[in-house]
Amino acid sequence: MSVVSGADRQKRRGFNWRKLGSGVGFGLLVLVVVAMTVAPVYFMVSLSVMDPSEFFRPHPAYFPTKITTQWWERVLNSETLYPAFMKSLVVATVTMVIAVVISVPGAYAISRMAPNIKYLLILSLFFTRMYPEIGIALPVAVLFLRLGLYESIIGLVFAHLILVLPVCAWILVGAFETIPRDLEEAASVDGASRLNTLWRVVMPLAAPGVSVAAIFSWLLSWDEVTYARFLTLLHPTLPIQLLDIIGRSGPTVVATWATIVTIPVVIVTYLMQKWLRADYLAGAVKG
Amino acid sequence: MTTAELARPYTPSVTTRARRFVKRYRFEIVLISPLFLYVFGTTLVPVLSSIILGFQDPPRGGGFPSLASYLLVIEDYQFVSAFTNTLVVTFASVSMELVLGLIVAMMMARSFRGRGIFRAIMLLPLGIPVVVAASNMRYIFLSSGYLNEALIDLNLLAQPIDWLKAPLALFTVAASDMWKVTPLVMLILLAGLESIPTELYEAAEVDGAGAWQRFRNITLPLLRPAITSAVVIRGIDAFRIFAHPMGLGVGRTVPVLSTFGYYEYQRVYYSTSAATSTILLVMILVAVVLYIRLAGTEEITG
Repeated sequence: MSVVSGADRQKRRGFNWRKLGSGVGFGLLVLVVVAMTVAPVYFMVSLSVMDPSEFFRPHPAYFPTKITTQWWERVLNSETLYPAFMKSLVVATVTMVIAVVISVPGAYAISRMAPNIKYLLILSLFFTRMYPEIGIALPVAVLFLRLGLYESIIGLVFAHLILVLPVCAWILVGAFETIPRDLEEAASVDGASRLNTLWRVVMPLAAPGVSVAAIFSWLLSWDEVTYARFLTLLHPTLPIQLLDIIGRSGPTVVATWATIVTIPVVIVTYLMQKWLRADYLAGAVKG
Repeated sequence: MTTAELARPYTPSVTTRARRFVKRYRFEIVLISPLFLYVFGTTLVPVLSSIILGFQDPPRGGGFPSLASYLLVIEDYQFVSAFTNTLVVTFASVSMELVLGLIVAMMMARSFRGRGIFRAIMLLPLGIPVVVAASNMRYIFLSSGYLNEALIDLNLLAQPIDWLKAPLALFTVAASDMWKVTPLVMLILLAGLESIPTELYEAAEVDGAGAWQRFRNITLPLLRPAITSAVVIRGIDAFRIFAHPMGLGVGRTVPVLSTFGYYEYQRVYYSTSAATSTILLVMILVAVVLYIRLAGTEEITG
């Protein structure tokens, strides 16, 4: 027979040099991609503890040998850190709570609609993402300046909800879809009202998905810069404080601020791992 | 009654259909209203008032309708560079993210030792705030930064390059965005890759198709829906890029439309800022429509 499949041919050849070659190539590729991903975060942390003797020279050290806490001390003692940190914390937490309260009923209802209506509703929520944020932030900022809500926490929460609500609802629709409708039908046969069913039957089952949506909402608000930049000046949030520092301080101080902005995110993301199941996001991605 | 009339299916009028819809979904409508009222109220109203404000006299409105704000904006040399910079950054970042995202997704689709750790490391940027991601890029791309240092140490470069000066800074902004969102693109493409049945690859291999042929004739065509959604989602965000140029500290020197609009607002030129945001909105709409036309509509729903 002259017809030999590729797999058979490979088996006959004995030691497979080509496979080794592609294995080494693959390993190198993994190393390059990992290095690209890790390097910026590594430099941030290493600069934040780098001794001046290793920093103030033509080129800062790749690997610090002497460690100092002086940048951390300087930043932790800075007057602007605490108010900015608290403002971000309060805004993100309030945004999270309101986003969940508004999104849970909405997302539940969307998940119980006919498929074509459901699709249309989710898509229409996401169409709002096409609008440039600066076009939304400008009238909101002008209005808040007039109402005296400029720099206020309420103002920021109001603006952050614009960004957070569609995402929060989207994740929740995915979470509610994993809960079978049979349970609700059984409850309604037993005479429970629909609101009662939602509260007592669906919500306990959806709790992990609601946690994921809540944490995503918190993270989105914590990270947000465009609205915060438009709506604050003298009393910024933590990310805006970092933006203000960038032009004014050296890389070691900036790196320390950046690490402080990141730490809560790391803690919160770590907490989320517990609840994060692939199917919530998968359902959400399928939309 | 003729047979033709009988054969016509019963179609209720729009009002009856609407009434039935409301009756059937009464509970759902009550639950949905707060969400949709908030989302649409807080986007449509501001966007409309921005559009109207853009057609008023600079700097703070009045005298509608007027093209003075648009004329003022178009004459601004900063605006012209912001306009082209936005297009360049969007194109560069989306294409770089797509290529790198596809490479990483295909790596992830293989099974190899340490894949779990690799996956965790690749998702790391998702957990880094945008401003932090951008400010981290400064240590790398500053002229005394690590990239220049590494290139000089490797004898690839004699003099440090200023990566934060236009036009190179456009690449730097795109690279910063790429670092932050490639994991997202990778996840979208990985979901697409995993939906391709493995039998197709096995059959192609039996038929003697090489790796490149399998990629070209199976992976790419079947991945098109995933690629389309990644391009649309990322493209819309890239047009509105704001945090990366600000975090890199080049918001003023290398303007994009969002940062230009912000600085107009900051110097209390509200109407020109509004005009800029309207121009950006039109750009996004045109780009999305063009892309969907080119890529085919059925793929959006797929």
